[in-house]
Amino acid sequence: MTGAPILEIEDLRTYFFARSKQAFIRAVDGVDLRINRGETLGLVGESGSGKSITALSIMGLISAEPGVISGRMGFKTDGLQVNLLRGIKEYVHLARKDGRVMEVRKNCPGWEKQVERLMGAIRGKEISVIFQNPRSSLNPFIPIGKQITEAILLKGRIKNRREAKQRALYWLEQVKIDSPRLRFDSYPYGLSGGMCQRAMVAMALASEPSLLIADEPTTGLDATIQSKIVDLLQELKSAFTVTTMLISHDIAVIRRLSDSAAVMYGGMLMECGPADHILHVDHESKHPYTAALLASIPSEKHIKEKAYLQAIEGDVLDTINTPDGCRFYARCNRVTEGIREKCRYHEPDLREISPGHCVRCWLYFD
Amino acid sequence: MGNTILEVVNLKTHFVQRSGLFSTLRGQERIIPAVDDISFYLKEHETLGLVGESGSGKTTVGRTILGLIPATSGRILFDGRDITALSPRDFRPLRKEMQMIFQDPDAALNPKMRIQAILKEAIGVHQDINGAQVDRKMGELLEQVNLKESKLTNFPHELSGGEKRRVGIARALAVGARFLVADEPTSALDVSIQAQVVNLLKDLQKNLGLSYLFISHDLRIVELVSHKVAVMYLGRIVEMGLTNRIAESPRHPYTHILWSSLVDKESREAPRTSSGGKLADWGVFDFERPYRGCRFAPRCPVYHARGRPEKCANPSTEPHLDDIAEAHKVACHFPL
Repeated sequence: MTGAPILEIEDLRTYFFARSKQAFIRAVDGVDLRINRGETLGLVGESGSGKSITALSIMGLISAEPGVISGRMGFKTDGLQVNLLRGIKEYVHLARKDGRVMEVRKNCPGWEKQVERLMGAIRGKEISVIFQNPRSSLNPFIPIGKQITEAILLKGRIKNRREAKQRALYWLEQVKIDSPRLRFDSYPYGLSGGMCQRAMVAMALASEPSLLIADEPTTGLDATIQSKIVDLLQELKSAFTVTTMLISHDIAVIRRLSDSAAVMYGGMLMECGPADHILHVDHESKHPYTAALLASIPSEKHIKEKAYLQAIEGDVLDTINTPDGCRFYARCNRVTEGIREKCRYHEPDLREISPGHCVRCWLYFD
Repeated sequence: MGNTILEVVNLKTHFVQRSGLFSTLRGQERIIPAVDDISFYLKEHETLGLVGESGSGKTTVGRTILGLIPATSGRILFDGRDITALSPRDFRPLRKEMQMIFQDPDAALNPKMRIQAILKEAIGVHQDINGAQVDRKMGELLEQVNLKESKLTNFPHELSGGEKRRVGIARALAVGARFLVADEPTSALDVSIQAQVVNLLKDLQKNLGLSYLFISHDLRIVELVSHKVAVMYLGRIVEMGLTNRIAESPRHPYTHILWSSLVDKESREAPRTSSGGKLADWGVFDFERPYRGCRFAPRCPVYHARGRPEKCANPSTEPHLDDIAEAHKVACHFPL
């Protein structure tokens, strides 16, 4: 089912300059990702690991003044092939002193113009996003049906407003909103969280994008609604073969929907490969971080025995003062004496340990 | 187990929705029965988990118990004392005993106050103590919730989600509360941090003998921390009992659906393609849809499978929460 790569990200780095600390916050620090046509890639990690910033970087939404991006993002669909980061670096000038960055000077209008030039034909047309909080990403003043119609007209394939409205109704039906004709004129406040999310999904799919980015689509919804949305995404996936990048901290969701998975920590990929390989508790060879994440989910055994959960001690890495060695070293519980030195002072690279399965950990190489 | 610390009898909290001046004058008010006649009790050192979808009235129950929302009718007994209609002034001393951990730590902590000031205010508000004692108490609190002392001078926005949650818990403990209403304490946290918070709550219960009313829609977490579970639907408790009993052999169709809707049941054979047809025609619930008789009937698979029996749709025979087994109550005419 999987085909040629739609999006190839190489060495993506998105930094924010913190003026008060005179240092870069390395939100995304050298990420390589590849999404093939028809595939769902799940991106897992704790909050602050850089998942969402990766998505925003792809969409060209890093507009904040201190934001700096570098790397290459090749986006390729029928009749379209662009590097989404082309020439963007030229608008940023780093003022250095004694080898340290003192200030970031950014030509913001120029940067934004360049981003618009690159993304104009892509954002909302070839790549759509479902954001985390449906209620706040829908316009509260416009009925949902109209918002979906707008998305369809924006894509430009349908010019006629009436036709676009029919299409919007079709998509409302596809996402299983009950009585779509009635809901067409509802405002977001009149809909439940689950329905708002469905409307978001309809809006994102209405423009028939080549790539769908779903940023935490189920977070903040009820358990019953969550599983409904997951079911919906799954159905849509098989019905329309949408290529999806699914971002979530809920491993259960990723496990159900993804073909491949990537685990992020501290702005870096720690592990990537086939989803059922990486995200199953029984599989042995895994990054300690992935293993710890999996272990902290309450299991049947925990519940039966009312046992304590295995928390990962400490907090998410702050990406200003990144350690020399492995980013997970401070919280890792599988450091052995043999490799301690290496873990502490040398950063492991992402290496393939079995076909298609890469891990960034000293445990697996010598 | 110890004495009953909290007892709720036939509690009702209704909100009145007015859609405009004229409709009010015409008497066209709409009553929203957020909490509609519920009864339960909680013993010392115990945790009662309250589950249900959003809008089922879970949070309203918690807030009504703490007197943040006036009850419409019914009684709330705390330590055997009726606290339903206490004036705010009379309620004040009780705040020392009962506290709330709010759902959204960002909204619950004053962004302009340092952590130190937040905790100091909480410590000082109900007791008259001097500086040295405050400092000692603060040290104690930090130790209890496992928070680094260096964080005291930070502002809430400088803390991570887990740390903010800890500050919220520390603040609730500052006055020496025995009973906590924990409203979605783990929602919006990462699994790793969620585990830390759950462990902390369990530790505190063990060490300080706290009782919790644990409100959550995360069934796994509820199962893990609660001794008893009450399942709410549209303002009513539809099933209540010991946790493992409810989780393993739910008798109410709603509870059954709730538990089978867990995205991942950890069984590796769980079909990746579909979660089964049970949820297929599972509509969205709301107060606006008029219901007669059992309020779950419109969405109930049993009701439809049995050919819509009269009994379920008759207003005069709304099912009551009845004992079905030892320490297990169900409000359903045809329990599974």
